[in-house]
Amino acid sequence: MVVGLLMLMGGVAAGAFGSLLGLGGGVLIVPLLTLGFGLPLREAVGVSLVCVIMTSSAAAGVYLERHVANLRLGMTLELFTALGALIGGSIAFLLDERLLALLFAGLLAYVAATMVRAALRAPAVPTAVARDPLAVPPEVTGAPPEVAGVPPSGLVDPQAGYVVRRFPTAIAGSVGAGVVSALLGIGGGIIKVPLMHLVMGVPLRVATATSNLMIGITAAASAVIYLLRGGIDPYVAGPTVIGVFVGATLGSRLGHRVQVRYLQGLFVVVLGYTAIQMLLRAIG
Amino acid sequence: MSGPRAGRSRDHERTIGRLLKVMTYVAVGLLLVGFLAMIIAGISPIDAWPALDPGALPAQLVAATPVAFLWLGLLAVIATPIVRVIAAGVAYGSGGEWRMVAISIAILAVIIVGVASAVGTEA
Repeated sequence: MVVGLLMLMGGVAAGAFGSLLGLGGGVLIVPLLTLGFGLPLREAVGVSLVCVIMTSSAAAGVYLERHVANLRLGMTLELFTALGALIGGSIAFLLDERLLALLFAGLLAYVAATMVRAALRAPAVPTAVARDPLAVPPEVTGAPPEVAGVPPSGLVDPQAGYVVRRFPTAIAGSVGAGVVSALLGIGGGIIKVPLMHLVMGVPLRVATATSNLMIGITAAASAVIYLLRGGIDPYVAGPTVIGVFVGATLGSRLGHRVQVRYLQGLFVVVLGYTAIQMLLRAIG
Repeated sequence: MSGPRAGRSRDHERTIGRLLKVMTYVAVGLLLVGFLAMIIAGISPIDAWPALDPGALPAQLVAATPVAFLWLGLLAVIATPIVRVIAAGVAYGSGGEWRMVAISIAILAVIIVGVASAVGTEA
């Protein structure tokens, strides 16, 4: 019972941190379960995928109700992220866990470096950007409603205010995002958002919301493989998923009261330490 | 996109959004029941877990076993985005947007291939 409650609390902490820092839960859940509770990496990835689907579905529900996400673009791209997730989910069971740990260490180092770079570039960020599974974060609110209906074919929609471009590149990137998501148990937003925003020319707020929408089906495509191949432990997933849901909701409520700069500093240290632990695990 | 088609699209998005939120709450509720039942039954997360057996799930639910609620909750979580794709496909179909219907079907086909490959590997 104590372990179950600890997992619940760990999920709450991961959900809250993820929400406050605008990260998906996967980056935190996998190290929590592997390094904190000694779970095999592949099982941690399976549980993390379920957490990611849950937070994505809740947030996507709000984005769609408020017409912030571009459903057509999201569905078109998620065909390719799902394809990537199918490939990733299949090869995840063939790869050595040490290689997966090495890849995860690389991911953590990348996220830490990105946070440091962002903090140096934007010196005054007064409050956290909340990432509530049931609330639209500030960076995606206020989008013109017309953006929801832009065709993904590169055609200009006079009401949209932007043109979707470089679709073939986006297809390749989406497949890659799906593979990474399935291998490491993350949502893949760190690939999809820059892909849509920088490569395709989608406004950041729409890209963020649309990426969130896509995460659900991307993670579901590989989660079914993990589930059917015995890669998801219900006794671990139950408390962890509930914890992440509660934590993400709490994080969004606390968002405007927390000095995100200090939190980011602490988090970079945690990510760095976790990356080293994962690296040590990888090299045996 | 403008006029009645845009209005219909916005209505569909609102409906699909509500569906996602309701399904998320249902899934979290099922997991919560399962977790509370786990605590009452004295089951620890480090205990060995019974494999998912869809055929036995109804009987396990009637017997109120913790793992039945947990499996059902997990299935509900995983099914939520899949149901969203089906709902979107139906909505696009009702509006005659056949390209989007084809995309919805293709996404579902990818999921089905994943299920089939996982089942095939296990067998």
